[in-house]
Amino acid sequence: MGLLALLRKLKSSPDRELRILLLGLDNAGKTTLLKQMASEDISHITPTQGFNIKSVQSSGFKLNVWDIGGQRKIRPYWRNYFENTDVLIYVIDSADRKRFEETGIELGDLLDEEKLMGVPVLVYANKQDLFNAAPASEIAEGLNLHGIRGRQWQIQACSAASGEGVKDGMEWVVKNIPKGKK
Amino acid sequence: MKLKRFLLRYYPPGIILEYEQGGLLKTKAIDLLDLRPETDIDDVVDEITRKEPLITPSKVEQVRKLVSRLQEKLSQTDDHHFYLFKVLRAHILPLTNVAFNKSGSSFITGSYDRTCKVWDTSSGEEMHTLEGHRNVVYAIAFNNPYGDKIATGSFDKTCKLWSAETGKCYHTFRGHAAEIVCLAFNPQSTMIATGSMDTSAKLWDIQTGMEVCSLNGHSAEIISLAFNTTGDKLITGSFDHTVSVWHVNSGQRLHTLIGHKAEISSAQFNWDCSLIATGSMDKKCKIWDAHTGQCVGTLSGHDDEVLDVTFDFTGKYLLTASADSTARVYNVTTHQLISKLEGHEGEISKITFNPQGTRVLTASSDKTARVWDHETGECKQVLEGHTDEIFSCAFNYEGTTMITGSKDNTCRIWR
Repeated sequence: MGLLALLRKLKSSPDRELRILLLGLDNAGKTTLLKQMASEDISHITPTQGFNIKSVQSSGFKLNVWDIGGQRKIRPYWRNYFENTDVLIYVIDSADRKRFEETGIELGDLLDEEKLMGVPVLVYANKQDLFNAAPASEIAEGLNLHGIRGRQWQIQACSAASGEGVKDGMEWVVKNIPKGKK
Repeated sequence: MKLKRFLLRYYPPGIILEYEQGGLLKTKAIDLLDLRPETDIDDVVDEITRKEPLITPSKVEQVRKLVSRLQEKLSQTDDHHFYLFKVLRAHILPLTNVAFNKSGSSFITGSYDRTCKVWDTSSGEEMHTLEGHRNVVYAIAFNNPYGDKIATGSFDKTCKLWSAETGKCYHTFRGHAAEIVCLAFNPQSTMIATGSMDTSAKLWDIQTGMEVCSLNGHSAEIISLAFNTTGDKLITGSFDHTVSVWHVNSGQRLHTLIGHKAEISSAQFNWDCSLIATGSMDKKCKIWDAHTGQCVGTLSGHDDEVLDVTFDFTGKYLLTASADSTARVYNVTTHQLISKLEGHEGEISKITFNPQGTRVLTASSDKTARVWDHETGECKQVLEGHTDEIFSCAFNYEGTTMITGSKDNTCRIWR
């Protein structure tokens, strides 16, 4: 994955190839999720200082997933990656109730972005393996996901650590590919 | 015509003549690309005197001294061992490309954090942050040999021209419809060429900031471009599998180099502008006659995509770097394989010679950069320390300092 490979993934992808943006606050579990999708070892994951990209096969589609670091100082740069996004995946740490408000604001800002207009959004309610995790329904309500207009959306409970629920989410992604890609 | 003075050029070996004609100061170069330490100096001086009317009998002794100085420089053995000199926590996000100015006194780094930074090589101090782009700064260049200006090409579709001394932005060049991913100054430093994902290349006037012309004709993204040494021709490499040769003054396409079966990754001229080398995702490297546009050789051998190609300064050797984690050194004339550079544990995305043409530097996704002997293929040094892929690397003009830029957001100086 040198610079040239980045350019190839940047260009408008051909049929059956999707560009997926994976965002969320720091420590939400984005990189663990990405590695789980790619069936890679998840035992040594450190905060993402930049980005990771992996290509994952799902239902005959090649999903190019861009995992961008979620630390506050990096968030202003998320917009560098908006162009040509087919599906947005937003990851939430369901056990970190203190930050629900913060994550809600970030998600709201993303949904207001012109370049992401109409892009389907999948919210992963991650870390369901933790005992104090909020259920997906509570998060959907707290973040007012039901108020989302003009795009497909879905919330999926999951545990990136165990892999539970991750596949279901990806199946939703492939089913909700924007028109013209199918 | 009156000869004013001589200038010595070490890499590639040559003598520059500064002369006066019709009241104007002009220069011309005598290339001595084939000079060796053992070359008979009388033969060389005789040939120069015969061919060059500016060299009158009174100047012959001076020419002899200059040639002998070049020979001395060539015979210096080069066993420089590089140490990590400094780690620069350069950017908030991964680096893209890096480049030195000619003397190597300063260098620039581009980044996903939308800035380009100017660094002092000897102290590792940041001199300027060039801010203003609204997206990734991908392609960067100094206007070498002058080194007083910097150009940056961004995913925000614009190119900016900056003062290297003050960091002030002179011009923003607008007109591309997609990301700018490659750029170059012409050797005279009067124009900038930019290549874009919008499938076009454009030429811009440095003085006025206006577009000079648009080079249209590719059917896919342009990801590589280069001027020849004289600056009258430009080549563009594209994801449409072809390379175009353009006449700079007219904007006309002179040749289309057709033959690769997949995307082009890199296209380069040799020093004397007679040949073009191209690398492709089809795992091959091709050599083309720059005047006729004919393919004169195909170098097969890599098991995976060729990601970078480059000539040495004199044009005797050609380097290829591949996703198969090896690099190769070829003889440009015979197309014979001289050595295989094996040892990296991941794809090699950048490869470069030192200016002397005696050492090769490779940058790899295995987080190391390596220094190689080009003749034997022996790995002289493994430069370890980066914690993520290395995207870019460069030598300074003396060949005594190297920089590496990585996805780990840092830049390292080795000397």
